[in-house]
Amino acid sequence: MREEVRKIKELLEQQAYATDAAVATSVYLAMALGKPLLIEGPAGVGKTEIAKVLAGALGTELIRLQCYEGLDATTALYEWNYPRQLLHIKLQEATPGSTAEKEASIFSEPFLLKRPLLQAITQPVRSPVLLIDEVDRSDEEFEAFLLEVLSDFQVTIPEIGPIVATHRPHVVLTSNRSRELSDALRRRCLYLWIDYPSFDKELQIVRSKVPAIGEQLSSELTRVIQAARSLNLSKVPGVAETLDWAASLAALNATHLDAEVVNETMGCFLKDQEDLRKFEREAGSHLDEILSSGS
Amino acid sequence: MSGPPAKSIVTEAVLLCRALRETDITVTPAESVAAVRALRLIDLSDRLETFLSLRSVLTTRVEDFPVFEELFEEFWSRLGHRGQRRVKTVREAQSEINRRVPTRSHQHAPKGLGFFLKNWARTSGHSEHINAPSASDIESNTEKDFGQFASDELQEIARVARRIVRKLASRPSRRWKPVRRGTRVNLRRSLRASMRTGGELIELSFAQRKRKKTRLVVLCDVSGSMDLYSRLLIQFTYALQNSLARVETFVFSTSLKRISGYLKNRAYERALESLRETRGWSGGTLIGPSLAEFNSRWPELVDKKTIVIILSDGWDTGEAEELSGALTVLKRRARRLIWLNPLLGNPSYEPLTRGMRTALPYIDVFAPLHNLESLRALERHLVL
Repeated sequence: MREEVRKIKELLEQQAYATDAAVATSVYLAMALGKPLLIEGPAGVGKTEIAKVLAGALGTELIRLQCYEGLDATTALYEWNYPRQLLHIKLQEATPGSTAEKEASIFSEPFLLKRPLLQAITQPVRSPVLLIDEVDRSDEEFEAFLLEVLSDFQVTIPEIGPIVATHRPHVVLTSNRSRELSDALRRRCLYLWIDYPSFDKELQIVRSKVPAIGEQLSSELTRVIQAARSLNLSKVPGVAETLDWAASLAALNATHLDAEVVNETMGCFLKDQEDLRKFEREAGSHLDEILSSGS
Repeated sequence: MSGPPAKSIVTEAVLLCRALRETDITVTPAESVAAVRALRLIDLSDRLETFLSLRSVLTTRVEDFPVFEELFEEFWSRLGHRGQRRVKTVREAQSEINRRVPTRSHQHAPKGLGFFLKNWARTSGHSEHINAPSASDIESNTEKDFGQFASDELQEIARVARRIVRKLASRPSRRWKPVRRGTRVNLRRSLRASMRTGGELIELSFAQRKRKKTRLVVLCDVSGSMDLYSRLLIQFTYALQNSLARVETFVFSTSLKRISGYLKNRAYERALESLRETRGWSGGTLIGPSLAEFNSRWPELVDKKTIVIILSDGWDTGEAEELSGALTVLKRRARRLIWLNPLLGNPSYEPLTRGMRTALPYIDVFAPLHNLESLRALERHLVL
């Protein structure tokens, strides 16, 4: 393993992120090649977490752009500060000067509201991490616009002119595959697929994030979650749900799992009425089996 | 262990890219360059690291992983690493990664004109023998003469179809466009305009939500196995065609025909009259080739604003591979892919026909359509 990859893995692990070779390699290459990293996978496997942890590890700022349908340039890139402009015009009414001069003064940087994309390319000190979260939720027009920004990290504001990135951000995009992303965007990125963690990895995550939980309980809980994932539920519990459940159990001072405790707390990881019923029907009956499997 | 000479690995990497291109995975020259650059940045004696790096650069979706893995195996052994094939950690990592990965079927069944003709000949004459299990709740009137209809029933179908279309089509966009009079003030434009009057806001600009323009493409299966439902389907497509400005209707069995013109702006009887002239109804079904024909002849009809509705029972005598290929293209181009299957009306029906099994992973909405009631249910439950 290359020294740099190992270092990234260590850095990520210092931030309490249970990583693997695939994550470390992709993150390393994305940084070394200067390419955006597109992370796909089911909901709740910690895609967004990678960007956060990366920012923490690099000691740099995390700039987050949450995507949604209808997201456009004024919320993603920049907007003029209209109230301030209006105020300025009023204050300047009495002073002499041409319209052109006045216009130039109110369309200058102090009146510019920087939105995430512009913030990301105008960081003065060092490259930030730019997280473009759930890019599949934005619409195609925005995707095309994003492609433009990501290709040369330069944006043009008509009133000011082109702004070129001083420090190229490390870009992380996440997608839940609710919509097929364009090939052009996919091609521009390195690709990383993250799946639900294996038993061992999930156990490691639970123990590092919820240290209050005991050895026995943590492995029992992880086993139940892993079993629940195989049930073909409509909302498969992600790692976030595992951690919620672990935290709740720790708060309840539980030491081990039994049918009663599971019944009382399964709302932590099953968020759908149908799923609750299905889990009770199919896993509730042989809970002992699940709890003791493997040990 | 030292890496192989740089020259040979570049050649091998380029060969790998070409091999990928020969499968479904497109690799652009820029990606090939990135792959070679990546190889310089990593530890080439580490199989897992090389594998993960190239996969990260050369694939763009998780469905590509199995094919990539296969070709990487070859790439790696050609580099002279035969001794250390299949490091244990790789297999472990892979089994974990591939656990939930949806895979495309890569069957290599024989194809070509001969196969087509043989299958076409086999099914076209015997289509009556295909058993359609969901006949229970359709009216006794099952003959092909869809000219005889109760006019109030037709009206009801048209009404429901229109409501469905409205649900599909008239979603206001989240985007805004400038208008002369509206409910929301467009500050940016207003302020710009105010510069002309010395900063005094005299004329306000407004903005309102854009409307999403939706196009509908209806692909209706009219092969023998669909005969039972042809009356309902033709009424449904007739209603769809006349509910929205931008609707294109096609019928297919062993080939494809555009019938938008026959249905549009005509009285129902006249539409039927001209439809009868087109005949070619009933017979075998080649869904895959029909969809492929649609993709290649009318690519401009499907874009990200298009909802594609396929009306078919999924009895396909073509090859699964061809169907999945055509659906992949369609799915990528269209906004939504809706498949309405008359057989789904039968509670005991499971989509087990090869065609339907192949198609399911690509479909956004899979719903029954076998009588008026199912149409109403579709309207109630349709969520996009």
